[in-house]
Amino acid sequence: MKVFRVIAVLAFLAMPCAFLMTGQNAYAAEAKKANSIDELAKMYDSSGCKDCHEEIYKEWSKSIHSRSIFGTGRTAATIMTTVKVGLTGWEHSGVKKPEDVQVKHLMLCAKCHLPQLAEATDNVAKEIVKYSYVYADPKATDEAREKAIEQLSKVNINCLICHQRNAITHKWADGTPAKDTVYGSKNGEHADPAHPKMKESKIMDESILCGQCHGLGPNFELEEPSQCATLYGSYLWAYTADGGQEKCQECHMKKSKLGHNMQSYRDPGMGKAAVDFKVETRGMQWRDGAKMVPQALVKVEMINRAGHSIPDG
Amino acid sequence: MPIPQQLGRGDKMGRGPYEKSGMLRDTTLPPNRPVNETFEIPFPAEFTKQDGKSVTTILDYDMTVTVELLYMPFGVKDADTFTWQSVTKKVSIEKGGV
Repeated sequence: MKVFRVIAVLAFLAMPCAFLMTGQNAYAAEAKKANSIDELAKMYDSSGCKDCHEEIYKEWSKSIHSRSIFGTGRTAATIMTTVKVGLTGWEHSGVKKPEDVQVKHLMLCAKCHLPQLAEATDNVAKEIVKYSYVYADPKATDEAREKAIEQLSKVNINCLICHQRNAITHKWADGTPAKDTVYGSKNGEHADPAHPKMKESKIMDESILCGQCHGLGPNFELEEPSQCATLYGSYLWAYTADGGQEKCQECHMKKSKLGHNMQSYRDPGMGKAAVDFKVETRGMQWRDGAKMVPQALVKVEMINRAGHSIPDG
Repeated sequence: MPIPQQLGRGDKMGRGPYEKSGMLRDTTLPPNRPVNETFEIPFPAEFTKQDGKSVTTILDYDMTVTVELLYMPFGVKDADTFTWQSVTKKVSIEKGGV
């Protein structure tokens, strides 16, 4: 018996783009800006969190959030392309060579992939660009590439981004996040000497927390708007507008049991849960005039059960 | 996928996030709405004429069909593709008949 295979290919061209979008000037009043990747990593050091929240920290370490400007390698490569194809190609960008890149230029990516870059000097932007070029350079030595990955992985979307910096979206109503405080589900004291206070965030289990980065469309607040994710827009206008009530956290953290290892299409469980997939087949002979043509009729029904369109990109 | 518009103007698709602004078309699976696809796969057969009549000789009456739902971040099958669903069915053609 011959075996025929048909592959229903849904061209899921998803750019592994935005993770988080944020008010980039939230901490504009920060007195001293980080002047290197290492300084920025220290400014947002969340390694102390694992002393008490070991399991959660482990989960997060497996997530793409933990390497948000490196990603799977593709994010770093896209940062390089943004400079090489976009910034240096535009007449009015002020960037003629990679070394000309400033924070404001890199915010096209960093708005979501590294919002804390707003609290860094242009030297940090240049350093990120330098390492992105090294990573993407096929002629780079293994040692140089490893160093680039290591440096690019030092800064990321960590505990202090979601549980502090981006924990308050409406600052006139709810105040500005404080540096000595972590935001979650409770008020009170917190055992970490660097963050001795704990406050309830009104959005910690709301989709808007994720929506800060997972995209509405063009980022018009930038001089040169970028567009990466559009998921939050889809969530609002194609899901909740049609009666959908679940929050991002319910599927990506709770039902999936992934916790802080928030995953999407790479996780087999998420992929399976995302789409109801029904296949019906029937053998038949179609009559083309006097000619009988035997064929298999294959009908596929797909229902996307996610709270947003699939794929994004 | 959402097919983004280059710099929010004209008819060209943008590729990198630095040049995407807007949307030309959306071919995603929308939430909670069924999307249907139909495939017609011919069985192996030979078509001849005998005494002026069309004759179909079916070479195999059984076919195994596997339908896969793939997530392809790069848009091509051999690069970082994820198989989300896979359903295999046997399809047969009746022997005999009029």
